[in-house]
Amino acid sequence: MNIIIVGDGKVGYTLAEYLSKDGHDVTIVDKNEQALAKARDTLDVMCVLGNGANMRSLLEAGVESADIIIAATANDELNMVCCLAAKQMGAKYTIARIRDPEYTESLTMLQKRLDIDQVINPERATAQEISRLLRFPFAINIESFAHGRVEMVEFRVDSSDPIVNMPLSKLHGRFPHIQFTAAQRDGNAIIPDGSFEIRAGDRVYATGDRNSVTDFFKNMGKNTNRVRNAILVGGGHISYYLAKIIAGMGVHLTIIEINQQKCERLADLLDDVTVLCADGTDQEVLDSENLREAGALICLTDRDEENLITGLYGVREGVRKVVVKVNRMKTTDLIENMGIESVVSPKLTTANVILRSVRALSQSQGSVIEKVYGMLGGKVEAYEFTALEGAPYLDIPLSKLRIKKGVLVSVLVRDRKNIIPFGSDHIEAGDTVILTALAGTIVNLEDAFA
Amino acid sequence: MNKRLIVRLAGRVLLVESALMAVPLVVSFLYGDGDHMAFIFSMAITCGCALLTSLLRPQNETLRAREGFSIVALSWIAVSFFGGLPFCLSGRVPSLIDSVFEAASGFTTTGATILKDIEGMSRSLLFWRSFTHWAGGMGVLVLSLALIPKMGARSVYLMRAESAGPAPSKLVPRVGDTAKILYQLYIGLSLLLTLCLLLCGLSLYDALLHTFSTAGTGGFSCYSASVGHYDSAAVDVIISVFMILFGLNFALFFYLRQRNWKAVIHNSEARVFVCVVSIATLLVTVNIFSAGFYDSFGGALRRALFQVSSIISTTGFCTADFNTWPLFSKCILVALMFIGGCAGSTAGGVKVIRMQILTKSMVRDVRRTVHPKGVFTVKIDRRSVEESIISSVQGYFFTVILLLVSGSLVLSLDGYGFETTVTAAITTLFNVGPGLDLVGPTGGFSMFSPVSKIVLTMWMIIGRLEIFPILMLFSPTAWRK
Repeated sequence: MNIIIVGDGKVGYTLAEYLSKDGHDVTIVDKNEQALAKARDTLDVMCVLGNGANMRSLLEAGVESADIIIAATANDELNMVCCLAAKQMGAKYTIARIRDPEYTESLTMLQKRLDIDQVINPERATAQEISRLLRFPFAINIESFAHGRVEMVEFRVDSSDPIVNMPLSKLHGRFPHIQFTAAQRDGNAIIPDGSFEIRAGDRVYATGDRNSVTDFFKNMGKNTNRVRNAILVGGGHISYYLAKIIAGMGVHLTIIEINQQKCERLADLLDDVTVLCADGTDQEVLDSENLREAGALICLTDRDEENLITGLYGVREGVRKVVVKVNRMKTTDLIENMGIESVVSPKLTTANVILRSVRALSQSQGSVIEKVYGMLGGKVEAYEFTALEGAPYLDIPLSKLRIKKGVLVSVLVRDRKNIIPFGSDHIEAGDTVILTALAGTIVNLEDAFA
Repeated sequence: MNKRLIVRLAGRVLLVESALMAVPLVVSFLYGDGDHMAFIFSMAITCGCALLTSLLRPQNETLRAREGFSIVALSWIAVSFFGGLPFCLSGRVPSLIDSVFEAASGFTTTGATILKDIEGMSRSLLFWRSFTHWAGGMGVLVLSLALIPKMGARSVYLMRAESAGPAPSKLVPRVGDTAKILYQLYIGLSLLLTLCLLLCGLSLYDALLHTFSTAGTGGFSCYSASVGHYDSAAVDVIISVFMILFGLNFALFFYLRQRNWKAVIHNSEARVFVCVVSIATLLVTVNIFSAGFYDSFGGALRRALFQVSSIISTTGFCTADFNTWPLFSKCILVALMFIGGCAGSTAGGVKVIRMQILTKSMVRDVRRTVHPKGVFTVKIDRRSVEESIISSVQGYFFTVILLLVSGSLVLSLDGYGFETTVTAAITTLFNVGPGLDLVGPTGGFSMFSPVSKIVLTMWMIIGRLEIFPILMLFSPTAWRK
């Protein structure tokens, strides 16, 4: 597909990288020559120098034949104008990044009037991710599929866990509603089969419906209680959205923000939240807020380094859940080695959301792709497909379907019920199929079968 | 520097070259001229060396700017060397240095020759000579990019190091696709030219040979008298027009195919190019007509147009011995050698766009002396040119002058007169072909000493790659660990 990305910032660049690797023809528009130079040198994309809302730049980027235009500049208003202009000039699908909370209330109206097909809000998406982590504090990462019917939960295996050193084929007898979809050992991603034995220190994805997953962790002896109070360092957009999202969850939030004006604004907009005007990276301040007793420490300042140091301090003080926001770094495993397991990156979250939409737009005949989720630092991907009538793989037992190496048919959802599939099970038309596969092996459901 | 990767990728290019040698091999069998063994041996040697390089396993696949430039530089030197093998192995050109000179002259689309008796060469060797023009014109690496899928995202460095012009850009987002489009246009235009020449009554062999030489803006012909051999107005005009077309930026043909008329009309480089051709043609016509070289104004115009378009597109075909023309006309032709074709064409020279930038930055410097605090930008096509590009163009031009002076100094040791020495350096560095006096349209380069020939061979490759890739190869900082 022809895709235009306006704005060559962190999100724009990451998107261009993934989309061009996916085989799309990507053109980047930006007014900063230096930012473009980097993309031009390292990616196989075309670069156009200019303002994304300018007709000439858009024409030069080939807007008339563009399938998707993604406006991801730092400026919400520019993104809207850019999408509006592009739509008028012939772009088929427009995606705008709009993140100012001021616009969130009028968003539906704006989106309709400006004819924007999709709005993404990186801060809000990140806040949603954090709220899920607060709900399952024992998890490193959580993603839900099939409208929340299936949860994929990543956790680290301790040596005391009862599942250690047992082949998965045996584990299945004990936990019939849980599928182990992916694992990481010594930095290598593995798609496990029946003979795979989980070892201490592995990072494993357990998949199933919400109750089964909770039961599973209860059986393992993990503390499944949700977090009761959390300390947030940094009072930006993410903190605001997070406070809004978990307002009904019974979690008490303390936001520490250094800027007086921001504090006042947060206090004005949010109820039931304690806002402190202080330096959240100062350990004195954290101690005086009873950091040790807090269920979670979430570091959301604009600086990666401060987030990391504060997060490390939280880990040492024994906070149950530490979440750190990282903007620039690509190597999240580096941070994980330091003891911080949950890392959120608005850049990657946004890129993931858009990648899903793009893949959903480039559909095949036999299936509809609903969702793509990158796991284990992007080494493994989970896909949600809907199987369509007439596809070649229907009604054939999975054992006869020659599934490619590195692909696992994880869960089938049929008539709102989850099926953990075996060799004798088959895919029916209308099923939701959740697959995990090593990144880059499949694009369509058909690709899973040799 | 990832040396293994450099050698390995250069080896891939050699593989493409050995495949290209199959074409003259077929010609050799068709005409039975007895040179087929030379081609078979050359193919075997080239292919063998290419396969040897593929044994190298690079530690990683990272290809950065410096690796890209080194691959291009190394490939061109290797391609010229192996391309010379058929001449040498056939025994028709005894000296290896001469053979490599001829091949480098072919691939760099220069068209300077050391052959004294062109008609005495075998048909397949003449075919190979012209075919190297065609292969080298659009670039051997661009050809490899089009043929070999997935050289990686960063292969853009390869294309940029090989394409002509100050800031080469892609036509479509992907490098591989861009390379394919360029070759489609190239092949399309070449076929059109062959058809036109066939209609003029040329044999298929002659038509193909002259198509290759025109398309690559090279200038090798199968006759000593070059295109003048046919003495046909139609052939002259057709080749003149096509030489001008191949001197234009290929992006224009892409825009034409897309029906993007605006982009074509607003391209100032093409306008300047056509203007320069028209003015130069007019001046030369008046000059040679009034000096009494031709009876009719039309005849003078035909010769002048051919010579002007041949020189500015750095092809180097001749229909007249311009050595005998008045000095004014000769000076115009030498000036045209400096200008050369447009960026993104197969032509050599400094390139029209660089001349535009240089002229405009000179005007700006004059305005700055009038208004010391004034802020002026250099604009091309209503867009301001970045300062980094302006300074790199100025640096490029200085290096060109430096190379011309130093090259002339080396050649002067042979003692062949001022005109010969200086124009030999100019004509090789700008990939034109003929110069003046002894190296003029009727002369050749065979009399130079081996040292001079090696220098001229290097100058051709340096000129084709626009200097910096080759110079980087000799810079110690690039290789330091």
